Amino acid sequence: MNQTLWDFFITRQDLLLELILEHVGIVLLAVAIAIVIGVTLGLLSSYYSALASIILPFTQIMMTVPSIALLALFIPIFGTGFLNGLIGLVIYSLLPIVRNTYIGIKEIDKGIIEAAQGMGMSERRILLKVKIPLALPVILAGVRTATVMITGIAAIVSAVGAGGLGELIFRGIARTYRDMIIAGTILISLLGIAADYGLKAAERSLTKQQS
Amino acid sequence: MIKIKYENVVKQFPGSDHLAVDNLNMEVHEGEICILVGPSGCGKTTSMKMTNRIFEHTSGHIYIDGVDNRDINPIELRLGIGYVIQEIGLFPHMTIADNVATVLVEKKWPKNKIHQRVEEMLNLVGLDPEIYSKRRPSGLSGGQRQRVGVARALASDPPVMLMDEPFGAVDPITRARLQNEFLRLQEQMKKTIIFVTHDIDEAIKMGDRIAVMRYGQLVQYATPDDLLSMPANDFVSSLVGGNRSIKRLNLIKVEDIDLYRPPEVAEGDSKTKVVEAVAGDKLGVALVVDDRGKLVGTVTNTDLKRKGEYVKDIYAPAHDLVGPKSTLRDTLSIMLGYGEGYALAVDQEGKPRGAVSVDDIFSAVKDNE
Ligand SMILES: Nc1ncnc2c1ncn2[C@@H]1O[C@H](COP(=O)(O)OP(=O)(O)OP(=O)(O)O)[C@@H](O)[C@H]1O
Ligand SMILES: [Mg+2]
Repeated sequence: MNQTLWDFFITRQDLLLELILEHVGIVLLAVAIAIVIGVTLGLLSSYYSALASIILPFTQIMMTVPSIALLALFIPIFGTGFLNGLIGLVIYSLLPIVRNTYIGIKEIDKGIIEAAQGMGMSERRILLKVKIPLALPVILAGVRTATVMITGIAAIVSAVGAGGLGELIFRGIARTYRDMIIAGTILISLLGIAADYGLKAAERSLTKQQS
Repeated sequence: MIKIKYENVVKQFPGSDHLAVDNLNMEVHEGEICILVGPSGCGKTTSMKMTNRIFEHTSGHIYIDGVDNRDINPIELRLGIGYVIQEIGLFPHMTIADNVATVLVEKKWPKNKIHQRVEEMLNLVGLDPEIYSKRRPSGLSGGQRQRVGVARALASDPPVMLMDEPFGAVDPITRARLQNEFLRLQEQMKKTIIFVTHDIDEAIKMGDRIAVMRYGQLVQYATPDDLLSMPANDFVSSLVGGNRSIKRLNLIKVEDIDLYRPPEVAEGDSKTKVVEAVAGDKLGVALVVDDRGKLVGTVTNTDLKRKGEYVKDIYAPAHDLVGPKSTLRDTLSIMLGYGEGYALAVDQEGKPRGAVSVDDIFSAVKDNE
């Protein structure tokens, strides 16, 4: 690593720490909201196929809208700032979570569900004791995809004033301050890698527990 | 007493142009095993699943203890009916103990009673709780999983059991063993059981009554004996097969016949003693028992040629054993498999009961006809 970049990390560590916390904060909050909405939608879709045929394509389409355009479109509704960025990130996290919840439930062996019914378990009990635990590794994989993806996308929400490490990139571009851009990029990548590893480990320990 | 009654029961699946079950009329007696047998797709599983309302019938009535099963809340209904499905369907994320406890947890039994009951059930189906309680289904063989499936269905001691090919996914020897163990249990439990199978030999062995189905219809409903001697039509005859005397062997169990008892020697006995015993026996064999009286092997003239001072140095380990619930058909297969003129019978504890010879089989069939 060259000297000036290193100096940047050292001298600006307070700013960097603040931006990291902001970045992680908005990502975690977005993922948490997306889990609540996404798992609910995924579960509902697994019960009502009519709903599935609307929700799954819809989340798919939302994914194809470029993130910068989506955020710009939200400005008239949510203004600029944190809320706009947060909502954008939630929408991007939804697809993998909804889809994986749906697939995770649908892929459970029919015989297992039928055995549960035959034992006299109610639908609510089957959902809590059988379906969700069995779909959990797949749902968690969706959460991981979402988290890693929006850790990157969160760099762009800085453009609408939602804060985070993207600030470094945008300010760096404005001032043609190369080290600032590189520092922002490195930190965002590191966060993404950390999220990927952490959640993969969680998935693995869960699958191990179950087999 | 009639426990379950099917009255003009019809099942047509949505979008299907034929009837999966076509006007089924049948009475299942309390404490009996009723076998549903017939070719693939004839409606066995469907008939069974309408009983606990996994499937709702299109028309007709199913009565359990005289009550229309549509008037019973499905959850209540199912808690009172043990269910072993064709695919076994163990919960892969739960331990064996938790699998067996499923119905007990649903019935809100206290924890300590559940624990005790689960151990009892695992012992009952021949799985050591010490070893297997904490394992997951993936750590078990096919036969062990089927045992767990049966233990799970039996755990709350339901008066009625539905069993869909419960011993389907195992090799013939394991299947015969599971069948024998189950018949022994049923002797004490006296449950009302609907049991689905493809296998006519299994049907004859296990059934108090057999329902032969084809194209969704009940073709014949009779005791195994009547089914063999009076098949209702060509379809039943061909299902039973050309060689009915051989099928009849499924009707007779080892415990039903008088057995010849060859001489017994202990492991620690001297060779001279066993030479006399073998010479004096009509089959030319002496049975070797251990200090607890269990059959461990045999000595024949071939073994006597081996060097050694005591019985324990020369005997051949026992292999071709049958139990009280083994049929003569099982016994004959074992004899043919090992190329011997007799098979050895042991009781539940593994103590020798005697030898079944080919002659015994002939005369048992003659008496039975
Ligand atoms: N869920 C379902 N939806 C539509 N049709 C079904 C369904 N289940 C069974 N069927 C049809 O009903 C008929 C009877 O099926 P069933 O499963 O009762 O046969 P079976 O006698 O148990 O066969 P097998 O020995 O292969 O298990 C078949 O034609 C089958 O295709
Ligand atoms: Mg079937």
